[in-house]
Amino acid sequence: MQVRRLTALAILPVVIAGGAAACSGDSDSGDSGNGSAAVLSVGIGEPKHIVPANTGETEGGQVVYAIFAGLLDYDKDGKPYNVIADSITTDDSKIWTIKLKDGFTFHNGEKVTSESFIDAWNWGAYGPNASDVNSYYAQIDGYADLNPEDATQTPASKQLSGLSKVDDLTFKITLSEAFSDFNTELGYTAFFPMPKAAFDSEGNITKEYEEAPIGNGPFKIKGTWNHDTNIETERFEGWKGTKPKIAGLNFRIYQDLKAQYSDTLANNLDINRQVDTSNLINAKNDFGDRYQMSRNSSFQFLAFPVYDETYAKAEVRKAISMAIDRDQMVKTVFADTQESARSFISPILPGYRDDTCGEACQYDPAAAKTLYQSVGGPATIQITYNADGGHKEWIEATCNQLQANLGITCQAQPETKFADMLTKVKDKTPGVGMFRLGWIMDYPSMYDYLQPLYHTNGSSNYYGYSNPEFDRLIAEGAAAKTSDEAIKLWQQAEDVLASDLPVIPLRYGQNPFVTSENVKKADINLFTWVDPYTVEAA
Amino acid sequence: MSSPEESTTLAKPRSLAADAWYDLRRSPIFWIASIIVVALVGIAAFPGLFTSADPKACSLDFRFAGPGPEAPFGYDVQGCNVYARTMYGARSSIEVGLFATLMAGTIAFALGMAAGFYGRWIDTLLSRSLDVIASIPLLLAAIVLLKRLSATGGSTGVWSVAFTLGVLGWPVAARVVRSSVISAKQQDYVQAARMLGAGNGRIMLRHILPNAMAPAIVVLTIMLGTVIATEATLSFLGIGLQPPAISWGGSINDNSAYVRTAAGPLLWPAGFLAVTVLAFIMLGDAIRDAFDPRMR
Repeated sequence: MQVRRLTALAILPVVIAGGAAACSGDSDSGDSGNGSAAVLSVGIGEPKHIVPANTGETEGGQVVYAIFAGLLDYDKDGKPYNVIADSITTDDSKIWTIKLKDGFTFHNGEKVTSESFIDAWNWGAYGPNASDVNSYYAQIDGYADLNPEDATQTPASKQLSGLSKVDDLTFKITLSEAFSDFNTELGYTAFFPMPKAAFDSEGNITKEYEEAPIGNGPFKIKGTWNHDTNIETERFEGWKGTKPKIAGLNFRIYQDLKAQYSDTLANNLDINRQVDTSNLINAKNDFGDRYQMSRNSSFQFLAFPVYDETYAKAEVRKAISMAIDRDQMVKTVFADTQESARSFISPILPGYRDDTCGEACQYDPAAAKTLYQSVGGPATIQITYNADGGHKEWIEATCNQLQANLGITCQAQPETKFADMLTKVKDKTPGVGMFRLGWIMDYPSMYDYLQPLYHTNGSSNYYGYSNPEFDRLIAEGAAAKTSDEAIKLWQQAEDVLASDLPVIPLRYGQNPFVTSENVKKADINLFTWVDPYTVEAA
Repeated sequence: MSSPEESTTLAKPRSLAADAWYDLRRSPIFWIASIIVVALVGIAAFPGLFTSADPKACSLDFRFAGPGPEAPFGYDVQGCNVYARTMYGARSSIEVGLFATLMAGTIAFALGMAAGFYGRWIDTLLSRSLDVIASIPLLLAAIVLLKRLSATGGSTGVWSVAFTLGVLGWPVAARVVRSSVISAKQQDYVQAARMLGAGNGRIMLRHILPNAMAPAIVVLTIMLGTVIATEATLSFLGIGLQPPAISWGGSINDNSAYVRTAAGPLLWPAGFLAVTVLAFIMLGDAIRDAFDPRMR
């Protein structure tokens, strides 16, 4: 007893001394500016691609966001402001005129012109290129010519007719139908520019460019993409926008979030963008002030392969949803770092309403079981998840809840990488069963939560959901003259989802992140990316 | 040391096995190891006798809850009964151990016997291929094979893990069989049997096999322990037995991240694993001591 108390007391002065040292250290480095020569490392998962017109997931997006810059960017509240764009104007929400600021160049010295945007978008929209973000260009006039119904046919054109160059710094975008929120989209990485050097004589992105993209952003890539190891970048001195405060970012690739956490604790990694679930309990203790939380737009849900007869009945999906105790999961597994979701869009967006999912998202195990049995739900279900995202624990907990509440067998099936899982789902591999997906907005609009995920032609509609009523409401909302009108229609579309339940909402996320002692300041933005402009070294 | 006079007075000279049994009966290590092994096999065969709780009934309500009458070891990260899971986990460990060792033993005897008995090019061929297999690191090869098996659609259950470890684990035992066959082949009684007109098959099965068996059994018993440890390693790495299969390695993996919150759910399966591996290795050791004339 004696000894223990003594130890506890002995530690206290050390902590105080440590705190004081840290404070004085801060003011020192602020004066000397020594931090701006530092390179900080950021943990990511292996990206699928790191060229703008082909990057549709968050890990690649983080890299693209650092080495490229778009027409506009978003502030902390998701409001867009211009970066490369000087002005974005329209009279009728259909024809948009974009003027660029002069002086921006790519890392190889090439000027950022109208063509840099037009070429990149044309490539992404061209069907045979099978870009991961192909559908983001679907609103631009002429998209249909590049994406024939019959995918085996050669498209009639390689250029979107809706894109026209006025001069080097001005171009016009004509949409096939008016879209009131179109300007908010333009900050998404799919709308970033690419230089001439990216393309070979046939207009394809070269292999070399895939491995070492030449961007126009605050950082330029150093060497090439070392797959499964890292992507190094250094500050681009020719960058005309907000100057970053560090000399470089080293994106280190991990297969496991836990390893990122331990490496950050050991000061081997500087920023762990998301603390893995098992360490949420320890993070406060381990990192103190270096454990922070920021808002994000993420939305976690379980998706059903609705093309699969097993899950074809909406009642089966509803019963499964009712058998999941979201609040308990949030409290225990996530240590209150996430919120239960009972709607289909993130609460940070205009147009969000509480509890749109209704009865289906209220935990009621008894009713769930009765319903499940009355509609003959499957006796065995499987939930597939990616093992590289820290999802194992909550998926298994979900399985346990389903087993206990529905009296069925549930198997949690890991896939090594997220990309592998998506490929399996895309190919409709039998036996995948339910699968987890998370959505992080590309641009702050309800449309971005609804169209890509549930529209018949949505880019991330991996479950094969299709409802003409929903598609119609989405289209009508997009064509609305004002934002308010659009939101009303999209809310109706959300209600359609609530009755069909192609997916079941589970949680809204925040970013619990930790930084090493080498970091003075780091912000994780709404997209779960480290803000390359504000990050500072100690 | 028995004197020559003594052995001549016996009606029948004791065989190697009988000699060994005589020694074993007096070895405390043998008895301790045997008791543990028998207990574990009992748990593995009838886990329901040792616990009435359902190892798959987990609820977050009990996350990291302490021990209670239903759960003497407490509850783990998913709110599963640690005691029940440890009992049921024994089954997969022992199953994998036994099947893999049986398979490795069968291959080892077949190939080792052929190599030792026929000699010449057959021996060269078999011995070299054995060297090749033995030179592949076990864990690495197991990872590759299991990945392959699960990629082709087969689930990674007890059978595929046992198959993988069996296929990769036979070289050591095969070498032992081969050398003891070579030494037995030159014994007088073998020559005598051959002169009396016994065929190859009869000589191999009736005369050489019984005498070549003992050393290989020793190696295989020790191997059983290491196979169980390897299975746990693979499950820990997430490529061995997958949920819903219950295994010690899997439990260790699930709970290792929370060792600072609750150590019990990690330490219990880890402890059982350690004791099991130790028991098999001790048993093998004791048997080897008994069979090895130089140890007497």
